[in-house]
Amino acid sequence: MLSYRTGVGQESTRERTVWYLCLAAAIAVPLYLAHDLEWHVLWRYRYFLLRGLLTTLVLTVISISFGMIVAIVLAAGRLYGPRWLRYLAAAIVEIIRAVPQLLILLWVFFVMPEITGRKFTPELSAIIALTVIAASYLAEVIRGGLMSVDRLQFESGYATGLSRVTIFMSIVLPQAIRNMLPALLATWIMLFKTTTLAYVIGIVELFHAATIVNSRELIPYTTYAMLAIVYFVCCYVIAVIVRRLDPKYVLRSA
Amino acid sequence: MNWRPFIDHADVLWAGLFLTLKLMVFGIIGSSIVGVTVGALGASSHYFLRQLCATYVEVMRNVPLVVKLFFLYFILGLDAFPAALLGLVIHQSAFIADVTSAGFRSIPHEQSEAAFATGLGGMQTFLYVLFPQLLRVTIPPFTNQAIELLKNSALVSLIGLQDLTFVAQNIQIETYRYKESFIVVTTLYVALAFAIVGVMSALQRRLRAR
Repeated sequence: MLSYRTGVGQESTRERTVWYLCLAAAIAVPLYLAHDLEWHVLWRYRYFLLRGLLTTLVLTVISISFGMIVAIVLAAGRLYGPRWLRYLAAAIVEIIRAVPQLLILLWVFFVMPEITGRKFTPELSAIIALTVIAASYLAEVIRGGLMSVDRLQFESGYATGLSRVTIFMSIVLPQAIRNMLPALLATWIMLFKTTTLAYVIGIVELFHAATIVNSRELIPYTTYAMLAIVYFVCCYVIAVIVRRLDPKYVLRSA
Repeated sequence: MNWRPFIDHADVLWAGLFLTLKLMVFGIIGSSIVGVTVGALGASSHYFLRQLCATYVEVMRNVPLVVKLFFLYFILGLDAFPAALLGLVIHQSAFIADVTSAGFRSIPHEQSEAAFATGLGGMQTFLYVLFPQLLRVTIPPFTNQAIELLKNSALVSLIGLQDLTFVAQNIQIETYRYKESFIVVTTLYVALAFAIVGVMSALQRRLRAR
């Protein structure tokens, strides 16, 4: 039964049909059983929940945008910088990647005010923490992408008389980003899920909004089913885009 | 800086460290067993199994761990430790399965065809031909997954398990020593992560030496 010969992608139409019927049944039966789960109660909170989702998305987009900038600096520093900068960037990335995300959030929220003597709002703390997390993860992805670019590209750039910055920004980085798109988008999905943690410091994002609705209405199965579906759909849509943006397709169309 | 509270709370800190270690060890073992099984089945040429495993991976890794933990603990009503362990295992096993089936795909098809030609069965091909090669390819991404599991184990403090993160917050609430408690606990996490890296690279060196 278990074989590892070739034959992937050669399955018959009947096999496909059976699989999709089973999948449909696996989705439909629980939904039928769950039709008295009082979805209308959840529907009453739709604007509240949508605002939670919007907060989640805004947090994700802001932290990824700032994170990308910091990550490019860190990755370039680690690869092309002078020796001290290389070690510094490597140390920052490796240490932050070894610390749990939850602890980073708590560091920013509880410890930073004590060190700097200034109080941050929960929103700002969440954005700072998520940016730090995003930067450390994306730095590794970008470093991988930069390493995949051929050394000859630099030399040709030098030969044509371009400055280091121009070579990096307009020759190396675009190619690197194209090579690492799948890994990059996978990391974005991860960061999207990491925003759930912002609920710990009191931000009403989707997860927190759902728990608030749940503690008011006591409909745990419905709320958690909704959460699972929404997170799954959001991540899955990004994952489908990942597959679409696979470098081989991009190269072919370019 | 005043480190006095930590000498007073050393026993709590030890208990937290022990719980995190326990979660880490059992979590890594459990999620590797589940993950490698799902990944191996998912890379087979059996269409149904492949789709089933792909669905498991997609669903499990696209739902945040916190949602899973809260579901298992508050709704299914499991005890805190089993809920935490189960949550960590199903979350990380999906990622490990992905790494494993990517590793399988990196092994040329000729390998299994040659094994079949010499008369090995499906299970034998897997155990004696593919698995040893797989082990070598997947150690670096697997190390990452082990560290991710350690870091994700910090989330179990949200369902009331007294792990390192929980202890850090407790000591901080009792003593108002924010900086110190977080420095101690963060150092412990970093040390654990580097310990994982050390063990894994030792393993890799041994495999390469063979």
